[in-house]
Amino acid sequence: MLLMDIAKVIRSKNAGPRCTTLDIMFASMQDYEAVVNANQITESRIAQLYELPVDQVKIINYPIAMALKIVLPRKITAGDPGDRDVYGAQQHARLFRIEI
Amino acid sequence: MNATGLLIKEFEGKKAYRPLRILGASGQLGYGIPTPAFEAGLARTPDLIGCDMGSIDIGPYYLGSGQLATARQSTKRDLKKVLLGARRLNIPLVIGTAGSAGAKPHLDTTIELIREIATENKLRFRLAIIPGDISKDVVDQAIKDGRVVGIDGMPDLTSQELSHTSNLVGQMGATSFQEALALDIDVLISGRACDTAIFSALPIMLGFPIGLSVHMAKIIECASLCCTPGGRDTILATLYADHFILESMAPQRKALPISVAAHSLYEQNDPYTIIEPEGRVDLKHATYTQVDDRSTKISGAKWIAAPKHTIKMEGARKVGERAMLLCGSADPRFIEQHKQILADVSVVVRDLVCEDGPEDYTLFWHVYGIDGVTDRQVDQPLPAEICLLIECIAPTIDRASEVVKTMKQYLLHFGYAGRLSTGGNLAFPFTPPEISLGESYKFNVYHIMETLDGERLFTPELIEFQ
Repeated sequence: MLLMDIAKVIRSKNAGPRCTTLDIMFASMQDYEAVVNANQITESRIAQLYELPVDQVKIINYPIAMALKIVLPRKITAGDPGDRDVYGAQQHARLFRIEI
Repeated sequence: MNATGLLIKEFEGKKAYRPLRILGASGQLGYGIPTPAFEAGLARTPDLIGCDMGSIDIGPYYLGSGQLATARQSTKRDLKKVLLGARRLNIPLVIGTAGSAGAKPHLDTTIELIREIATENKLRFRLAIIPGDISKDVVDQAIKDGRVVGIDGMPDLTSQELSHTSNLVGQMGATSFQEALALDIDVLISGRACDTAIFSALPIMLGFPIGLSVHMAKIIECASLCCTPGGRDTILATLYADHFILESMAPQRKALPISVAAHSLYEQNDPYTIIEPEGRVDLKHATYTQVDDRSTKISGAKWIAAPKHTIKMEGARKVGERAMLLCGSADPRFIEQHKQILADVSVVVRDLVCEDGPEDYTLFWHVYGIDGVTDRQVDQPLPAEICLLIECIAPTIDRASEVVKTMKQYLLHFGYAGRLSTGGNLAFPFTPPEISLGESYKFNVYHIMETLDGERLFTPELIEFQ
């Protein structure tokens, strides 16, 4: 199954102008646990998808909201010349096809 | 006695003795406040109305230029709505980060609108303003003392870089707000501020726990965004001595434990911590319990005071003037070779526009359909059409315009390998396809400054409307 078929929300946004944060939220504790236990959303997988060194990827489990948070450094500060996504709201889609 | 004086007197010697009702009227004042939910909120006789008016997320332009992100007319409409509402109930109105970015020009524009509204509606009230600008001399000294640190890998701030900053602000916290609220005022409008200070400063003064007040503030500063479905309608928080209850003032929006807890994820890099100038809130033991089908009870936030106070600073500097060209292509051969074509044409352009001067500009292209938004994936097929947004940043607008106009002409007629379409390579949705956008800015300050003991960066000023 793909992450896009099991998650309720997959979104990205700036957390300050230097970070992108990705939130993956689920409709049930069962779905959340299934994804956590499948262990496919790992620092190394995310690092590979976003072409970043693995030590720059942070993943936080947030079971109270049945959610996972990923924090990545932005390659370019929000709004600098050459930026493509000032709010960082369209950097989420490459998570869709993670096989769970 | 004015609105804050009345509340402070009522709670004198009776810390948190009754619940406090707080309205989060708007997550970003100036984009419209839905009237039905706002009026429903007023009907619940709140003790305080708060609104956040700005953010760093909108990018460096507004901070750098002093312009508002919201339209004048809608900003005035929203200000009028909350000001009239607060005056009708004789309760305090607190607005943070005036005018989108909270520097002097933003605060000035907001005060100008308040003056117009006060005159047009014959209002009498006492206003406190707190400018959010920080003096460059203060920051320069802090740089020399080693008290300035970049946030999230921001390069070290130098005195020279600091001198280029067009507007420099600090996120003031609840302590600065409390100084103004103690002046027996009706309305408080601040420059750049922590969004939490808007809603937490007064409750803390009235004896409510800091951790709880800040946790509540962090949620309601986004109005009903913490609900299912989320939205921008007014939200009501009822704060008790050991918990608070959230309820949206729009009947279709439900504040559920899961949606409220999930709000801690929004635009934050740590859902368990809220960092403030005076300390931090630990949410690891926060609990969210459903009260009824539309409201949730929250408790458990812990306040941990910081040994040293810090201020988060934001600054923007001008990088030049921007012009752009907007066009499209539906030619598969052009699309296939677009990378090489753009690189080749940019050389042709450079040779022409730099004949009698230096290469004093930068040129970027955003190719929508390919990688205009995010990096291209290896297996991604080529689209049938692409949109090209070509931007130039140059020292003057005339120079930027010269570069994009030249780019347009040579890209239109460039003879690339295998070209069949000799009529022109580009489609323009309208002419002129070149647009002069004006000043361009970047964030050059996004740093934490450790403040000196007793250092007072933000000072309230009073304005009486008679």
